[in-house]
Amino acid sequence: MTQGKPMRICLSTLALMVLTGCERCQDDLPCGTPDCAPAATPYTLEIPPFFPPMDIPEDNPLTVEGIELGRMLFWEKELSGDGTMSCGACHLPSAGFSDPNPVSTGITGAQGMRNAMALINIGWSPSFFWDGRGLTLEEQILEPVSHPDEMALPWSEAVERLKNSNTYPDRFTVAFGDATITPKRTTQAIAQFLRTMVSSNSKFDRWRRGETFLTDDEFAGYEIFLREGGDPETTEGGAFGGDCFHCHGEAGLQFSDYLFRNNGLDSIFTADPGHAGVTGNPLDSGKFKTPTLRNIALTGPYMHDGRFQTLEEVIAHYNSGGVASTTVDPFMKYSTGGLQLSSVQQAQLIAFLHTMTDTSFTSNPEFQDPH
Amino acid sequence: MHMRFSLPVFVPLVLILTGCDRCNSEVPVDEIGTARMDLELIWGESAYVLEQVATDHNGYTVRLDNLQFYIAPMQFRSNGEWIEGADVSLIDFGLHAPHITSTLASGTYDAVRFGMGLPPEINTNIDPASYPNSHPLSVIGSAGMFWTWSSGYIFVKYEGKFALEAGTQLLESVSYHCGTDSSYRMVTLELPEPFIITSEETRALTLTLDAAKALNGPNDSIDLAVDPITHNAQGSDLGSRMMDLLIDAWEISAQ
Repeated sequence: MTQGKPMRICLSTLALMVLTGCERCQDDLPCGTPDCAPAATPYTLEIPPFFPPMDIPEDNPLTVEGIELGRMLFWEKELSGDGTMSCGACHLPSAGFSDPNPVSTGITGAQGMRNAMALINIGWSPSFFWDGRGLTLEEQILEPVSHPDEMALPWSEAVERLKNSNTYPDRFTVAFGDATITPKRTTQAIAQFLRTMVSSNSKFDRWRRGETFLTDDEFAGYEIFLREGGDPETTEGGAFGGDCFHCHGEAGLQFSDYLFRNNGLDSIFTADPGHAGVTGNPLDSGKFKTPTLRNIALTGPYMHDGRFQTLEEVIAHYNSGGVASTTVDPFMKYSTGGLQLSSVQQAQLIAFLHTMTDTSFTSNPEFQDPH
Repeated sequence: MHMRFSLPVFVPLVLILTGCDRCNSEVPVDEIGTARMDLELIWGESAYVLEQVATDHNGYTVRLDNLQFYIAPMQFRSNGEWIEGADVSLIDFGLHAPHITSTLASGTYDAVRFGMGLPPEINTNIDPASYPNSHPLSVIGSAGMFWTWSSGYIFVKYEGKFALEAGTQLLESVSYHCGTDSSYRMVTLELPEPFIITSEETRALTLTLDAAKALNGPNDSIDLAVDPITHNAQGSDLGSRMMDLLIDAWEISAQ
């Protein structure tokens, strides 16, 4: 049986449209949206082994030009009121793209309440900020630029500065199809860049891929990480483990469950209500987002307010069990004597945490300041 | 130019355009309806919402803050034969109006059966990262419900606070995480009246869970003062006891 030529062409064309994503090049889409960026080159993000798929917003697909623009904007000091501070000022590569200070200082000298979160595999996170008030990455990026205690630049002024620069109108044109510059496009570009910041080459990753070995202490620490915590005499199922995996689980190798928990740091929460400030529910008081453990050895100080300088202090806190409150997480062993890890076990757990360090990520030239 | 790839392209194209996942159904599309199972929570005789304070069988003041569980699969009986409904559902009573939607062939059903937890073939040795993020077993979709590759998922999370004496602060933790293959349980409920599914229409049932019965049943009871916590990733007995208690904690009614 032979097939008519017009039919064959029609099917082939249709097939190509299906396979290449025909919705990306429809003529009736408004120009200036990422969906109509004829000059932009689609970028395929490589998902590392054992990682989950990354959900990328349909209205902000990754493009080579968008990512590069985002990188320029991330490191752009003109996005601060006095032209001295970029996003990268509080997200230093050497600190795992976090702030080595307990809380960050803005251009006016004002200090925030919380430690700047590490920008590691942030494209997988379903919520943003320690209290979860950001629902999308793009939405999260809007805040620091205009926040009076951070970069303190109204977005209207930020847009004007970018429009008047020598380079940005052209960069927005190649990334988005025309030279229109808006806060939305600016955050979209930065979000594209941040989604490419993938850490997947720590010693632990390489061990999971069968490329290297853990030392005896590192492996012992891994076993502690995976074991239930507490004395079995006082805690059903307790196995003198670290109980880390409940909140920093291995699934998808992101080492965070992305949930909000009160880990027993305080018993009153008037200074910082945490997630309750977003939900309005008093029973969310003192709850903060579980951070990733990736590059944890580089991202100190620790906790939402940077109160612990070292991993040793962090482990000591969990080993004590923390303090009781009506919202403290049931994983905390505050009433049963804490984890009761020996000093050797604590050291082994910390040795394991160091296997999360990925210096090929922090030193990746594609993430550094291009200015 | 002669395009040699027309046939290889044509076959997947037809599959894409016609929705290949429906091809294995033996029921014509116009004979399919929907069963919606609305889940409700009670504590004893009273309606209950999470974070509400209640009293357990021992007189302890209890506040449940988190109640989540997997149901897999949901099945409906028609003419003595069990028909597959929804495959995997993660129920979170902290969310508004939890429900399970099943697509069923038109017909009359007289019972439902569901698995509490996950059957062994999907509980362990499948990487959560292999699912799309919207799937209840994915890394994101299962947030907080996955233990490890070997122990699998937490089937039931029953968490909150309690106090031994009424009127005092609720500071003691209740934390039951039940799971492992040996804790998987089936629940069968006879429907009080024939449940008729008609094509392209949605019929609703209400599945009610008595959270108090997770601690107290006809054959066993749990004293929170003695056993406030179990995370039975290693298969402890206490988690299995709660799973057994939960078998008798369900009721079903037509809407």
